[in-house]
Amino acid sequence: MLSFERFWSKLAKKTEIHTIRTKLILSFLVIALIPLGIMAVFSYQTYYGSLTASVTEYAHEVVTGMGRDLDDYFSDLEMLLTREQDFYMDQLIKLVDGNDFNNRKYVFRIWEDLNNLHTVKPGLEEISLVFSNGNRFSNYGLYVLDFASFRQQFQANLQARGIAILGPHQNFLNRTVVTMVKPYESPGAETAVFMTADINLDRLAIITDIKLGTRGYVFVADKSGRIVYHPDAGRIGNTSRFYRTDLPGGFADGFTDYEHERFFLATAFSPVTGWTVVSVAYADEIGAQVAPIQRITFVVIALILVGVILLAVYLSHALSRPIKELQNLTKRAANHDLSVQIVPQGNDEIAMLGHSFNKMIARIQELMEENVREQKLLRKLEMESLDNQIKPHFIYNTLDLIIGQLESNQNEQASSLIEALGNFFRLSLSKGREIVPIASEVEHVRNYLFIQQLRHGKEYQYEVAVEQGILDKYIPRLLLQPLVENAIYHGILQANRQGKIKISGYQVESSEDIVFEIRDDGAGIEPDQLQDINEVLSGVRSLQHEREYFGLRNVNKRAKLMFGEEYGVVLQSELGRGTAAILRIKATREEPNV
Amino acid sequence: MPNCRLIFLLVLAALISLLVTVPAAADGFYEDDLTIAFLPRSLGNPIFLDAFEAAQKKAYELGVTLEWVAPFDFDSDLQVEMIENLIRRGVDGIVASVNDEEAIHRVFQKAMANGIAVATFDADSPGSGRLFHIGINNYKAGVEIGTALVNVLKDKGMEGQELDTMIMTGFREALNLEERIRGFLDATADDLKINVVSILENDDTVEKSIILLEDYLKMNPEVDVIFFVGGWPFYVTSDALPNFRQWAQAGGIAVGIDLFYDALLLQREGLIQYLIGQDMTGMGAQGMELIVNYIRYGQVPPEFVETGLEHADESNLDMLLEIHKPWLVK
Repeated sequence: MLSFERFWSKLAKKTEIHTIRTKLILSFLVIALIPLGIMAVFSYQTYYGSLTASVTEYAHEVVTGMGRDLDDYFSDLEMLLTREQDFYMDQLIKLVDGNDFNNRKYVFRIWEDLNNLHTVKPGLEEISLVFSNGNRFSNYGLYVLDFASFRQQFQANLQARGIAILGPHQNFLNRTVVTMVKPYESPGAETAVFMTADINLDRLAIITDIKLGTRGYVFVADKSGRIVYHPDAGRIGNTSRFYRTDLPGGFADGFTDYEHERFFLATAFSPVTGWTVVSVAYADEIGAQVAPIQRITFVVIALILVGVILLAVYLSHALSRPIKELQNLTKRAANHDLSVQIVPQGNDEIAMLGHSFNKMIARIQELMEENVREQKLLRKLEMESLDNQIKPHFIYNTLDLIIGQLESNQNEQASSLIEALGNFFRLSLSKGREIVPIASEVEHVRNYLFIQQLRHGKEYQYEVAVEQGILDKYIPRLLLQPLVENAIYHGILQANRQGKIKISGYQVESSEDIVFEIRDDGAGIEPDQLQDINEVLSGVRSLQHEREYFGLRNVNKRAKLMFGEEYGVVLQSELGRGTAAILRIKATREEPNV
Repeated sequence: MPNCRLIFLLVLAALISLLVTVPAAADGFYEDDLTIAFLPRSLGNPIFLDAFEAAQKKAYELGVTLEWVAPFDFDSDLQVEMIENLIRRGVDGIVASVNDEEAIHRVFQKAMANGIAVATFDADSPGSGRLFHIGINNYKAGVEIGTALVNVLKDKGMEGQELDTMIMTGFREALNLEERIRGFLDATADDLKINVVSILENDDTVEKSIILLEDYLKMNPEVDVIFFVGGWPFYVTSDALPNFRQWAQAGGIAVGIDLFYDALLLQREGLIQYLIGQDMTGMGAQGMELIVNYIRYGQVPPEFVETGLEHADESNLDMLLEIHKPWLVK
């Protein structure tokens, strides 16, 4: 079973049976061949049936015609033998009865008469007057026959209307003949006299001459099945092999089997002779007549088949070629070759698919380029963000603060500050990763706030309230710090009073969005400026110079690039009361593949 | 006295024997049951009817069966085929008037090899080995008719002029007919200037001979002499031969072989100047007797049995018309 499957698999692979092209070819062939086959079988059956019917009808017509010809011929003969008070014959009979041999006048006339009949009637071999002493006066002269035997045969074959037809026998000239016998009634004749007509079997051959295939033939048999005439002379006198005693006519019409061979018999009865004309056709030869049609059908089918195959191959090729081409181009595209382009031909679905493919490839190229652009921009923004963090005066001031603490032996504070600064830078770099866990980013902000708080003399308080549930989610690195920095420098420090910064983070209910709010209670922003900033962030207004709202734009742009246009930063502010930067990002559990 | 009684008894026995034997012979009850087949050249030539009747009578008298078979019209091949079948049927004797002298040899020899006695009448086949031939001396008959023509023409004072002559025969292969022609030409060669312009073959049939004769004379009325090698056209009355009658009345000279009642009538009308007849009756009767005697008793006949010739001219015409019976076959 396994090996068969393997074999089938190999075969399928070798013949590419799995391809659309092969499937199309097979489909076309099946679609074409099923009706073709049905039509061929139907045509053949119809023709064979029609031929058989024609042969049957023809055979019956033929043998019926033969039977009629036979009747006509023998009826004519009977008329020739029907003489009433023939003067010359009557006189000769009297002379013969009286053993008077002065008979030249009558004998000569009778010979002349008989010879004329012999001449004018085709197939009439001999016509004669038979006397009971055995003398036979015929167109061949006078000779003697065995009268007792003759009479016995006459009696045995006597028909109702007074004639007898004697079966095949050899005549005076040793020719095979059948003989019609009719008594001649001569007034005053002392003995019986008969008129006879010998018919050469060649006449029966002419009457029954027909071609029934190469082996078929026609024969004539008497009522007991004895063959009177047969093309094979050796069978004459024998009982026919087709004769059946259980049938009224002795022969069955239609198909019959004999010694493992099938024949078609057609019969016609000849009432005048009492014989049956039987045509014998070999069934295989009847069937063979279909052979030319069969051959023509096969040739036509073969031609159609070849045509169908060629058409199927052409159509399948025409249909599958663009698909194949599409497949190849798709493969190339999948292998990063986006230069591929289909040249669509026509206006069909495949051509439209080609157009769509081209559009798709173009779009992919655009997206790729856009993605590259975005990535570049993202890198640039990151770097800018990073640059923005590692400002020299931030580092110097922090280091100066550490030095001051060390000099004033505030070692513990200095140690904490160093640790915070280290963490700050370490988290800023984050090993180069683009996104980091929220916990890490929050920790980074904490470090920053801790450092800045120390730098600015605790002018503000800060609070970090981030939901525990979002800490393990991710956020682009350095996204919160610029907002916190803005809250310190533009909010708290601008107000010149003690302030507070609150950083909260939570996941929006029934959403994947995470919102960070960095609120300060500092100076706030003028409404016009607030509107201007938000318009810049939302892209309503274009920039007037590169450094305009740089930190906010950096964060906003990165959020939008990373998560989409609906994300980013929005500012809420009330002059003199504080500002809130609301950052909306998308919650991700894993590091996004960017 | 006892001698007288013995003589009486012997005479009585002889009478009884005669009374028993003669009817037995007449009724044909011979134990040997012989069958003798005669083959004339054709059934359609009435000249053989004399022989037929005579043979029938003689056969009845001898107690043998007669078969008289021939093609109706002259047909050498069919005559040979018939002899083949007579051999097959086992006849005891064959007497044939031969159509084709050469062709008949093989079947004659085959018949003789089968123990059948074979003879010829009228037309012979000398090289065939047949037992005997009965008939006339055909050459002699030709000579005599030729001589008779010479005399007729001398009487008319025409012997010196060149005479266009037509000869009508049956078939050039028939030996007897050819012999007659040879004798005729030999007999006239010295005394007459015979110029044979045509030899017509009528296939031994009456009908064809009449048609040929009438057509010929219509086309060639200037012919001077006609020699009929046989009497084929003589079976009809002169009314059936208008061209011949007109030609004869215009001075045409006709002589012929075969003498019978109808021919004599034509001669009396002046259409024929001289006839020589053969004894066909004798050929039938004597031929039958000779072959039966040979078969029954081993009596070997002479190889040639001549039946003699009969002449008919103005001197004996009336007498011959009384002797010969009309045949009435036409």
